[in-house]
This record gives sequence, structure tokens and C-alpha cells, in this order.
Amino acid sequence: MVKMATKTKLGLVFFPAFDWAIAPDHPEREERLLYTRDQIREEGLLDLPGIVEFRPQIATRQDIERVHICVPSVEKVCTESHLIAAGGTITAGELVVSGQTERAFALLRPPGHHALRIVHGSRGFCTINIEAVMVEYLRKLHNGRLRVAIVDTDAHHADGTQDIYYNDPDVLHISIHQDGRTLYPGTGAVDELGGPGAYGLTLNVPLPPGSGDAEVLYAVEHLVLPVLRDFQPDLIINAAGQDNHFTDPITNMKVTAQGYARLTELLAPDLVVLEGGYSIEGALPYVNVGIILALAGLDYTGVREPELPPGVQKDGRVHEAVVRNVAFLQEVWARRQEIDPAAVFGGGNYYRRKRHLYYDTDDIHEVQVEAIKMCAACSGYRELHSFAEDRRRKQARIAAVLLPWHACPACRQQAEEAFARLAAEPDWDDVYYQNPADPQRPLVSKAGRGES
Amino acid sequence: MSYRIGIDVGGTNTNGVLLKGAQVLATVKAPTDHHNLHAGTREALTRLLAALPEKERGPVELHLSTTLATNAIVEGKGAPTAVLIIPGPGLRWTDLPVPFKLYPLSGYIDHRGREAGPLDREEVRRAVRAVKADGYQAVAVVGKFSPRNFQHELAIEELIRAEFPELAPVTLGHRLSGRLNFPRRITTAALNASIAAIQAEFVRMVEKVQDQYQLGKVYLLKADGGTLGLQESVHRSIETILSGPAASLMGAMALTAEIEDAVALDIGGTTSEISVFSGGEPLAEREGAVIAGYPTLVPAFFSRSLGLGGDSQVTFDGKQVTIGPQRVGPPVALGGPQVTPTDAVVVLGGAALGDAKKAHAALQAMGAPFGLESRAMAEKIVATFAQKAAAAIRSVYAELNNRPVYTVSQVLAGADLKPKRLIGMGGPAAYFIPKIGAELGLPYQVLPHYEAANAIGAAASRPTFAVTLRADTMLGKMVVPELDYEAPIDRPFTFDREAARQEAIRQAVNYAKKMGVAVDPDEIEITEEEVFNMVRHFYTVGKNFNLRAQVKPRIHRVIP
Repeated sequence: MVKMATKTKLGLVFFPAFDWAIAPDHPEREERLLYTRDQIREEGLLDLPGIVEFRPQIATRQDIERVHICVPSVEKVCTESHLIAAGGTITAGELVVSGQTERAFALLRPPGHHALRIVHGSRGFCTINIEAVMVEYLRKLHNGRLRVAIVDTDAHHADGTQDIYYNDPDVLHISIHQDGRTLYPGTGAVDELGGPGAYGLTLNVPLPPGSGDAEVLYAVEHLVLPVLRDFQPDLIINAAGQDNHFTDPITNMKVTAQGYARLTELLAPDLVVLEGGYSIEGALPYVNVGIILALAGLDYTGVREPELPPGVQKDGRVHEAVVRNVAFLQEVWARRQEIDPAAVFGGGNYYRRKRHLYYDTDDIHEVQVEAIKMCAACSGYRELHSFAEDRRRKQARIAAVLLPWHACPACRQQAEEAFARLAAEPDWDDVYYQNPADPQRPLVSKAGRGES
Repeated sequence: MSYRIGIDVGGTNTNGVLLKGAQVLATVKAPTDHHNLHAGTREALTRLLAALPEKERGPVELHLSTTLATNAIVEGKGAPTAVLIIPGPGLRWTDLPVPFKLYPLSGYIDHRGREAGPLDREEVRRAVRAVKADGYQAVAVVGKFSPRNFQHELAIEELIRAEFPELAPVTLGHRLSGRLNFPRRITTAALNASIAAIQAEFVRMVEKVQDQYQLGKVYLLKADGGTLGLQESVHRSIETILSGPAASLMGAMALTAEIEDAVALDIGGTTSEISVFSGGEPLAEREGAVIAGYPTLVPAFFSRSLGLGGDSQVTFDGKQVTIGPQRVGPPVALGGPQVTPTDAVVVLGGAALGDAKKAHAALQAMGAPFGLESRAMAEKIVATFAQKAAAAIRSVYAELNNRPVYTVSQVLAGADLKPKRLIGMGGPAAYFIPKIGAELGLPYQVLPHYEAANAIGAAASRPTFAVTLRADTMLGKMVVPELDYEAPIDRPFTFDREAARQEAIRQAVNYAKKMGVAVDPDEIEITEEEVFNMVRHFYTVGKNFNLRAQVKPRIHRVIP
């Protein structure tokens, strides 16, 4: 038996779900992490002192409902693989907060960062937001006293994670991604900066198509690291999509395995969670080995793809759009506490917005109307109305009232009243009430007239 | 009726047994002479053959379990070995966790077995010259992903054979294991190369004995409880490591009617060994044996060692009894310096051993300051022993049931290993096993102490071997690394799961033939099977298959 003298550096929760696919020829299919598995095994990474592999747990309905309003229910929108991916991410989180390992990497599928607060189905290959399920699990363990930073480096904007934490003052969310004007899901512009309760804690760095190591690392060094130093989170999570890679078939970026490893080293995250990345042969085996070595504090400079096409590793000149966006966000960050909410979010008691959301994977259209209480004492309760229709014209109309962690007594009371009012209205299939801090009642209580 | 002789050359004693079918005709025991292993083996053999009925004289099969390979490695007596590696990109070769002199070469095979960078023959020559200049006599050659494409390894072997015959034969990594794990493959191949000369000498010696006594086939026991033909062992001597513990488990299996799902605890003097049976078969290590701290790819039984035995040191601070992990000497009853669990057993009347009065006095002295008389003290020690053993068994099962799995259905299946019985072995087992069984809430069974159990295990064992088939219809190629087999897939669109199974079985039969064993296809089983559709740009363009086929594990039953 090999004895560990020191604390394990890296806990690896590897779950390739070799028997699950969205569809046989879908990018999110059985084969996705096969070559990664082969590379990790052949490199012998699991025998290295300091790296230990763990089996994922299965997330419970409660774990999911701390984050999501699933319509009509968790059971109806989730498969077991979603519960295992979310559970495996929880396992990784537990390893770190319990001190069992210094860091952890949830290298698993299916991914989650396009899953919004309300879930009518699957979008961007995602159904359950696995990082958010883990964060809420850990926050519950700490009675809500946990400051978290999520840095999402997938090529696609992390619109789901942004949606969940848009108004949450204890969660900083930074997304670095290919410019939304050129790629799904289209959002993630520099001026999406968070709701009235958490202004400046949502930061988006869109990168022009063709960006490579230089652009990503510039954003990390000049924006992410200084912001993290200011924010002082208890936990740094890297949602590590691997589709910025130069071989990815569905994006237009030029990042290399070396770039990813260096990014990981700079960021020094407590937790890494795999998100997208569909160059299953040309990118994932090398990027994942690079990330694992960087997390374990080992030399990753020997990791390299079979061939780097010319023009991939540029001379370090950074695209000027990136320099400009980073400068703008530095300014936002520096002045985030000086802004007048009324000037940004309008006067009145509520900030209201209406959005049209599309579920590409399941072909569902949703219109969502949201009202956030502008509250001086807490981040404010929220009321959501959601109207969804799938391609068979099956409709769902639901309303939800959400309380934040550390809600003030006034917001708690008004939220209860809003729930009672909505529950009495005949318009809704179901009305949901979510209070993450309430130890007594279910996380989601439903007043339903619909099925279930 | 067939006759078989089993000889186990253990650390202390050499035991031998002569079997006629399932019957034990004779057993012998002699102290092992570490300076002359051969003499002890010859002596045991002579005495066993003398027990053979005169009219039955005929070829007798000999099964040998020796510590030769294990000791050579543990004591560092192997030849100084150099490893030519083709590391390709990845973990820096200087960071590889292997304790051998490495000579890195260029060349790059990727995860699907495609050559992404060529071998440089001139560089190989320079490296081999350096190996010679540095004084190495044994050479192993190991490339990253060589089980997927072994052409680089074969080319280097050919070059050394042609230009540096004094260094041949070399050990090639891919022939020893089709499993992916480059560092373990390096270790396995290097250890194999380092003990090859010692093994060759041993084989020559045994061949002489074989001639002299007109023996039939001679087999060596392996770490997975199977056998390997004597001649074949010259190239794969590494597989004969750790055959002693394997012989002990095989003995337990041969002598026990039904094992099913059970945990076995072999209680020794200093340590106890935990083994796990599932469906009557001993569980195997996931990747391979660990020897002298080196992880290898050698197939081996799963076992965990516990620093708890009959002679472990016992201390008592008034509240807690501490047992082990050290051993300072024999029990007080046998003239030892400190209290041991065995002394507690003696005090409780569980064993008539040595001087019971001495044991009583020692336990009295230990308990008196805290108001415990010797019997109460002894009960406390035995209870602690049982609790420690039970806790270790529970944690082994927790570890096994938490082994990572890679499919949804396996995660949903949850804990799949659960012992239904506790099986005790070893000298002190009779007294402790009932108490450990009570702690675990399990029925128990103590195997009668059988001096020759290891020798019976060796005699009862049969050949085992496994081959790996990797087929990639997109590349139109399949390989079986253990056999140096590479062939095109003629009809990639009809090569399906069934075709892959048939191919794997066919190759396993071929491999058996190469190893001097005749097996039927229906004696082969598929133990691992992965089939993946390969989709590129939203079209299915092929399949890849990873299969492992092995001869079904079997054992000769022996009547106790």
C-alpha cells in the first residue's frame, strides 16, 4: 500500500457516464470522455502521490431544489445522469470544504452552466446547473456564510450561472467567453453587470473569435486576479469548459492545452468543474491532463497536442477589443459601490425585466417576467412569471417567489404575501416558493393546479 | 488418475504435497535454506516421489511456488536495468514515479495508437551505446500507448538484436500487459528485465530436476493464483512475484466447499491479511500488484495488510488497550519480553502454549495498577483485537464499494460487495475469529490449520492468462499487444460486438497455445468489454472496442 505522508493535493471525481447520451450522434454522448480516460490512465496520473480518485454521489431532489424551480418537477426534467453529475460536483465540493483534499476536480458530464434558475427542459446541453447545486449545498452547510467566486472559462457565455447568481451579493460570477454576437447563447456582453442587490458582481469578458492563450491569460491576469484579491472569496470555482481549444468543432477560438494549464495555475482554484468542450480527441485528453497536473502542482509544460497548426500560439499581442473590455470592467469594479441604484435600475420599489429564453436542446420557448425588490436591508426577494411552450404547443405557466439568503424580515413577509396572492390566482399551473435558508419547510413548496 | 506435486518455498518453511486427484497422499515440511533454495526443493521432491506407489510411476506434474522473484526484487538483487522509454508529450519523463535509469527517445504514439511522431533510429543507437557505456546489463523498452501501437517497441527490439546482441533479449512493455498505465508498464518491464537472468538460471536448474526425476510438466505459481509454464516464465518472470500469498488463498479455496461472498482474514504473528471473495472468486487488484512499494501491472489478488497479529505488542494506559503495529518478540508465555494478544488467549484458556503462569503474571502486572485482574485484562485485549480487525475489514469494504465507476448503471447499483461470511486462517485464528465475526455480525468459519495449505494451493492451481483486444474500425485496425498481433479489419462496417468477442476468444486460444496450454474456446470468458460509437461531424464513422478475454478461473478441489 502506498502511504500518503501529506494531505492529498487533488481529489478527482471522474465520471464519464459511458452509458448516457442526449442522442447517439449528439456531441454530449458516451464517447465524449473516452479518450480523456485513456490519456489519464496511460499517463498514470491516478498513481501519483497527491492525486486520489473518488466516486460521485447521487444528488437528491432537495439538492436540486436549493437552486432550481423544475417545471413540473425535478423527476420530470432530470435523468439519473444529471443527478450523478450534480452529485459528483457536490462530492468534489465536500472534499475541499472538509479539508480532505486541498483541491478537487469534478471531471464529469453532462455539463450545467446554461441551466437557468427555472428549468423547463434542457438548453445548451444543460439541464441542471451543477456548480450552483454544489455552491448551494455548501452554503447550506455553512448557514449561508460562504463567499464564492465562480470563474467560467467555457467558450460559451455561462448564462445559466449568471441568471442564478445575478442578484446574489455573496457570489461573484465572472465569465470569459467567445463574443455572444458570434456564438450561442448570445448573451454575456460587458454591460451585463448584475442586479440591484449585487451590482458589479457579474462580470463578462467577451473575446473576439480567434482569441487564443494571450487573450484569455490577459483577462485573467488583468481583471480576474485583481478582482478576486478584492472580493476575498472563501472558495474559488473554475467552471472549466474546454471549447476555447483550437480544435473545437463548434466554436472559433485558439486556446491550447498549455494555455488552459497556465490559466489553471494562475487562477489556483479550489475547485474545477468541467463544462463544455467537444473536441473529444484533439483537445480534451490534453487539456484535462494539463489541468490535472497544474492543480496537483506538477510540471505541465510537457503536455502538447499532436500538432499545433501555425498561428495558434501567437506572440503575446493581445486583441485590442479585449484590452478595451478589461479596462472598462476594471473601472466598473473599482466604482461598483459608488453607483446610484436608481440611476442604473430606475426608481421605484422593484427592478423589472422581461426576457425571451430559448431551450435549443429541447426546442422550448420561454417568456420570463421578473421583479426584484429594491431593498436597502437585503438583496431583495424576487417574483418570477414564466410562460413556456414546446414544439408540440404544450404550455406551462408558472409563477415563483424566491427569497435570498439573509432576507430581511420585510422581504420575508412580502414574499409570503406574494406567494399567497399568486396561489389564489387561477392563471398558474403551479406556484413555487423557494427559501434556501428555511430549515423547516421544503425548499420548494408548490401551490398547484396542474398535473402532479 | 493424475498425480500432482505442489511445493511452496516460503520464507521459513518449504512445504510440499503429493496429490492424487483430490486426495492428499503425502505432505513434507523442511526449513527453507535461503542460501540454497534448490536443495530444499530437491529434498521435498525426493521425499514426495518416494510416497508415489511403485506401479503408478509416470509423469507427475510439478507446481512450484517460490519467493525467488519476490526476494530478488525486495532485496534489490536484480541486474542493474536501463529502460529505453518513448514518453511522447504529457507528464515530464523526469517526473515519472519510477526508480529506474531512463533513456528517453523521440517518437509519439497518440491515445488511439496513431503515430504522431517517428522513431529516430540513430538516436536509438546512441541511447543503446550509452546504456552499455553506463554498465547496464538488462534492458527494457517501453513506449507510451504501446498497447495501442507497439511498432516502435518492436523496431527497437529488432535493432538491439541485430546490432547489440549482447544486450538481448530485452523486455518489451506491451507484451507484459495490454492495460494502459505507462509508469506501471515501465516498472513491470524493468523489474521483469532485472530478474530475467536469475529466472533463467532457476529454470535451467528446475529443468535438470525435471529430467532427473522424469517429471511431467512443470508450472510456476503466479500472483493471481494461476500457473505459468516453466519455459514461458523466462520471458514473464515478473508474473511469479507474490505467489506465496496467492498459494495461501488458493489453498483455502481448494479446501473449502463453498466460499461465495466472504471476507478472509489470515492472522499471522506480526500482521494479518484481509482478502475478499465475491461469487466464490478472490477479488483482484484493480490495476496490478504492488511489490516493494512499486505499483505494477502484474495481475494479483486483492489484499490489504493490517499491523495486527498474535505476537503484536500490547500496551495499556488504564483506559485504552493498544495493539501493534510493532512486534517486539514472541509471547511472554514463550519467553518473550512483552504482553501479546496470544498471551491473553493463553490466560483465557484458549490455547495451551508455553508457560501459562508467565502469561498470567504479565497480564496481572499490566492490569493491577488499574484494578484489573489478569482475566479481565485478557478479555479487554481480545475485545480490542476483535474491534480493530472488524474496523479494518469494514474500511476495506468501504474502500472497495467506493471504487470509482464510470457508468450511470454502476453508480445506481451502489455498494455491490458485502461479505456473508468470515473465513479465518492462520495459527491464532481459532480464538479470535468468532469474536471478530460477532463484531461484524457475520457467521464465521475457521479453516483447520493445515501445514501444507500453501503447497495444496500451488498443486490445485491451473493456468491463467488474459489478452487485450483493441479494435478501431475507423482506423481499420486491431491489435492484441500480448501476442504482437496487428491486423487490418477487413470489413469495418460489419465488425460488431459479436465479431469483436469472437476475435478476442480466438486470440486468447492462440495465446494459450503459445503458452503451451490447450484450451477450448468455451473455456474463455470476456471479462471486460467496451464498445463506443465514434461520431465525427454528426456522422457515425466507426466503432472502437476494448475487450479483455481470459481463461475461466478454475481450481482443483482437494479433500481436506
